[in-house]
Amino acid sequence: MVTNDYQKEYDALVIGAGNGGLTAAATLAGKGMKTLLIEQHNLPGGFATSFVRGRFEFEPSLHEISDFGPPEDKGATRQLLEDKIGLDLEWLRVPEAYRLIIPNEKGGRLDVTMPFGKEEYISKLEEYVPGSRPYVTDFICLCEEVVNAFNYLAESKGKADKSILMDKYPNFLKTASYSLQDVLDAMKIPYLAQKILTAYWCYLGLGTKQVSFTIFAAMFYKYVMRAAYIPKYRSHGFTVALDKRIRELGGEILYNTKVEKILVEDGKVAGVETSKGDKIKTQFVISNASPHLVYNQLIYPKTEIPEIALKTCNARKVGFSAFVVYLGLNKSPKDLGINEYSYFVYSTPDTNDIYKQFHELRRPTGQATVCLNNAIPDCSPEGTSILYLTTLYSGDCWSKVEPKDYFELKNKIAEEMIDEFEKALGINIRDSIEEIEVATPATFANYTGAFNGSIYGYEPVSWDSVLPRMMCMNDEKYIQGLEFAGGFAFRCHGYSSSLQSGETAALLTYKNFMEVKNSEQRIES
Amino acid sequence: MSKELKVKIKPFGFLDLLAFKNLVPTRKKIINSAAADLIEATPPVNVLSQRLHPKTQHFVIEDVTFETPSAKTYRLVPDEESETNELAFFRPGQYLAFSFKINGSTVKRPYSISSSPNEALKGYYDITVKKDEGGFVSRYIWDNWDKGTKVTSSGPEGHFCYDNLRDSGKIIGIAGGCGITPFRSLARSIMEGLLDIELLLFYGCNKKEDIIFYNEFSELEKNSGGKFKIVYVLAEEELEGFEQGFITSDLIRKYTDVEKKSFFICGPQGLYKFIGKELAKLNIERKYIRREVFGEIKDIDKYDGFPQEASEKSFEMKVHIGDDSATIPAKSTESLLVALERAGLCPPSGCRSGACGLCRSLLIDGNVYIPKDVDGRRMADIQFGYIHPCSTFPVSDLEMIVPREA
Repeated sequence: MVTNDYQKEYDALVIGAGNGGLTAAATLAGKGMKTLLIEQHNLPGGFATSFVRGRFEFEPSLHEISDFGPPEDKGATRQLLEDKIGLDLEWLRVPEAYRLIIPNEKGGRLDVTMPFGKEEYISKLEEYVPGSRPYVTDFICLCEEVVNAFNYLAESKGKADKSILMDKYPNFLKTASYSLQDVLDAMKIPYLAQKILTAYWCYLGLGTKQVSFTIFAAMFYKYVMRAAYIPKYRSHGFTVALDKRIRELGGEILYNTKVEKILVEDGKVAGVETSKGDKIKTQFVISNASPHLVYNQLIYPKTEIPEIALKTCNARKVGFSAFVVYLGLNKSPKDLGINEYSYFVYSTPDTNDIYKQFHELRRPTGQATVCLNNAIPDCSPEGTSILYLTTLYSGDCWSKVEPKDYFELKNKIAEEMIDEFEKALGINIRDSIEEIEVATPATFANYTGAFNGSIYGYEPVSWDSVLPRMMCMNDEKYIQGLEFAGGFAFRCHGYSSSLQSGETAALLTYKNFMEVKNSEQRIES
Repeated sequence: MSKELKVKIKPFGFLDLLAFKNLVPTRKKIINSAAADLIEATPPVNVLSQRLHPKTQHFVIEDVTFETPSAKTYRLVPDEESETNELAFFRPGQYLAFSFKINGSTVKRPYSISSSPNEALKGYYDITVKKDEGGFVSRYIWDNWDKGTKVTSSGPEGHFCYDNLRDSGKIIGIAGGCGITPFRSLARSIMEGLLDIELLLFYGCNKKEDIIFYNEFSELEKNSGGKFKIVYVLAEEELEGFEQGFITSDLIRKYTDVEKKSFFICGPQGLYKFIGKELAKLNIERKYIRREVFGEIKDIDKYDGFPQEASEKSFEMKVHIGDDSATIPAKSTESLLVALERAGLCPPSGCRSGACGLCRSLLIDGNVYIPKDVDGRRMADIQFGYIHPCSTFPVSDLEMIVPREA
């Protein structure tokens, strides 16, 4: 039984100070709700943080934020952080979209560097793949329609007019239930152009045959049109600023405290209990922790766990964890021969094969590698550079690793990734390593407690992509007063989606809070 | 505005609109046919992470050995009554941060593990504590820890470890006093075949009787096939078979060339300062110098940038920790962390050297002095006024927010 010995009461409580939790708490506090944010770590950010080794401060997870844009043409994420929440920070534009290297591509090595900007992108692709222009132009045009359709759906708040959809967004409706590969093939896009267009696939963590077309289209379009940005002082720079802003807005934050129970009575949130013995009353909880953690571990008593919530968890597939090699190098990027910011190196040409290989504990066949100095020249001391190499692994393939083999294993894989990168670029970095840190799925699990170390949320396959999630949002609200934010929420993973998901969860919570408040007032009068 | 796509999209047509309509029913069908099982077991990667990085480890002291008249080795085995069933594996050079309750205050102190990682698998860690080094906590351990005593630490922490991708396989170790302990772990790991590297170790002590692990090192050296060699450097004694004086650049060069070899240095602060100057003469690249964390600074008023007018003063510090607030005294010559601990406020802490950031706190008001070589803060933290109390010294009255202990 849930008893009533609460020590404190809040209008709303946010579990976890990751990207989604921070924007949720800031939005709630901004609406004047009495808000408490509880974080198990001693820092805000979750994976959006930083760490120091020697004379280097590393970025643990961010490659680039999409939907951000320059100050004169703000994307939704910049609008949220600057205009709605009120952050005033320095952000830097990433210099190019990406350099893609596929050493064993059919017909020989593919090595292309793609710029941001619609015309620039199309023209560059035409240079690499003559004759691709009309196809790529149509593809981008279709992506634009998808983004506009999503915007319309978001504005209509679940009450979309079918005739408007049919009239204005017919191609969106036609493609919404298909995979990226289906659409690429249907549009007869030349093979090499397909390879170049889909380079970002690993950000969604699903091969082209599985990933829902619409979510890829929205991500791709936002990157190409609005470019990508990163914060000047690593992710910690903006998460510590969000911490400050939340407190300025009257919100409270408790660090080093873990929520152990979400107390539920008659299908409604009643409060939470923490690892420090706090018992806090609230009717509204926004969880930055995943539904997997919430329904399997936090809901109390267990009789309050709706069966359908467990079914929903079990039907979905938790996304990948990551393996990251962080290098502090004692030479400048120029001296090392690293001229771009963002590299995708795929040593297996087919994304669907790489996706499968990410489920095996083997030499990585794909990596996304960033040289931070090529966007922030002074991010490390002069004559040095910061490089981080990221690949993906399913948590499960790490499940049988024994601690005694762990350190050797991680350096072995790290060496393979460094080797792959060196070979792809024809350079040497190994001799210049001054600092190295390696994060594995176990590191990510340790840092945030993420389910099986996942850094991505649920896999956005067609039936579980953003669109069907949006269409089922009301039906899938299993506990009254409970919303989700972060990479596991309906917008899917990625910094931009996670940050925006926090705002959405907060606005829904605020609406429900006002309804409860108004009905209470009606009863009183 | 939807564009009439020039390319005829063949498979898209009426059926696709139907597929769109079916998105929701399909989703519902998939969800409804899924199992309703509750996943009660901790997921496997989370289990691995807990085994590698336990938040706390509980031990019973199984044995105490005198290494010298002033150094004892404590053998720690899991305290199963407190639900520690296995010891976390570690990398040679890592430390455990132990928690103590002394005179009403909770304090933490890091001690390097002096046994090898393989021995952790066998079920024990050794730590070796010298009576007079490290101040009142070492004394407390000497007086209070005995066979059967129960003690608690963190998981293995720290980065003073050999890394095959970064370091040379030929290591020049430099140890002073009790700084020898991580090198015993390293030397044993080499002998046990865990690490395929060579270690030439310079070990500075005052007198022969102060040498910790003397017999063991002689034995290891004999059996190492040239992989481990040790040079004892005695400051206050002249004996055959021992170098006399200090570990200078000339002495190092007498035994080895230094080209592309990695220096690993662990010892008291005086050693770091001395060796820093000696290595500068050898022109060693920064990547080849690894130093264990510095430890708490005890002579802050001798630092160049320290405001001398603050010296010998005590200030008032207003502290907000959890839901509590208190005003406590803070001496200019002691770190803010020590002031918090003296007041019994139980702040979180780890390395006590400015590096790990566990004590990270927000300075709201007041002035502090932070020596450059122990300022391990993130750039944004500097900008937003955060400090690491373990490496921060007050130079005025101040106010800060400290997170409650994890």
